[in-house]
Amino acid sequence: MLKGMILAGLLIATWAVVQGVVFQLRAPQKAFASMVAWFAPMAPAYVLLYLLTPPDLGFLPERFARAAPALGLLNGLALLVLLFLTGVLFYYHADRSITVRLLIELARAPQQRLSLDQLQTVCGVEVLMQDRLDTMTMNGFLVRRDGRYHLAPKGRLGGLGGTMARRVLTMKTL
Amino acid sequence: MKGPVLAALAFLLIVVGSAITLRVYRGNKEFKVFLGAFAAAVLGYAIAFPLTPPDLGVLPAGWLEPASGVDFVNGLLLLALVFHGFWCFAYFACLSPSMGVMVELRARAERGISAEEALAMHGREQPVNLIFQRRLPKLVQGGYVREEGDAYRLLPRGGRIAALGAFLKRLINSEAPVAGSRTC
Repeated sequence: MLKGMILAGLLIATWAVVQGVVFQLRAPQKAFASMVAWFAPMAPAYVLLYLLTPPDLGFLPERFARAAPALGLLNGLALLVLLFLTGVLFYYHADRSITVRLLIELARAPQQRLSLDQLQTVCGVEVLMQDRLDTMTMNGFLVRRDGRYHLAPKGRLGGLGGTMARRVLTMKTL
Repeated sequence: MKGPVLAALAFLLIVVGSAITLRVYRGNKEFKVFLGAFAAAVLGYAIAFPLTPPDLGVLPAGWLEPASGVDFVNGLLLLALVFHGFWCFAYFACLSPSMGVMVELRARAERGISAEEALAMHGREQPVNLIFQRRLPKLVQGGYVREEGDAYRLLPRGGRIAALGAFLKRLINSEAPVAGSRTC
């Protein structure tokens, strides 16, 4: 199992570096699609590496290299996908967090102080909501007809997931 | 394979435990519920691992990991990653303004929603709109900002988070002027 874990770790680190460079050079419009596109080759690369390298990777002690190869391969692949999803979530933490944005705006303000009106101007609901509506439309969750937003098929699925999650996990919006 | 199987059971307990606790929890620090459930699950995993047989009484011989330490760490890592995903999903599904719009649109069926109505959903007409009603009191209570009359001042603790956030945004080039980059 350790071999698969190490290979998954190496490949996810490679992806993170490559993706970081892509973000710096291109600032892609569709970040998630870009992350998926650059991650996609990592799965076959992992399988190839797993099949082509020795069970001990040339340095692991013998006791760590005795797991069934198929088990190690699948476990590493699952780990690779979970690490990728964690990376994606970290991206969205950094990109979308409203709380962090509020703190950054305060840090940038003269004397690190802003009135409520000023905060609402730079980070209020108008700024945020229009941005989110535009992003959801661009990403195919919403469609705009006659000046109103409607759910696209992808959005219907998202809305269904959200409705079910809200029934199960009763978190307060305030 | 014992580690991942126990991790899957522990994750199931996290989901069920947090769903039940959230129904009776009256505060507004839901993260404590999730972290509490995770801590309990990790504890349960750590206790169950040495107490159960390597094959859990059901696993085929070919599915066993000979190094139990590797099996334990592997299961713990999988549990932590899946929990993180669940936590993020829960917050996104229940609190995200974007998800709020999709849920509302689903309830409205063919009527759709205008930008004005979406804004009203988040309390634009109120003196402190909903986005701030949830966050600002928490930032004050947590010692990240201080309220000064009608204004807010950043405190050192908040400054450290802001610096980390700004660093991460630079790493992902989040503020580049492209469609899809966010003003907030």
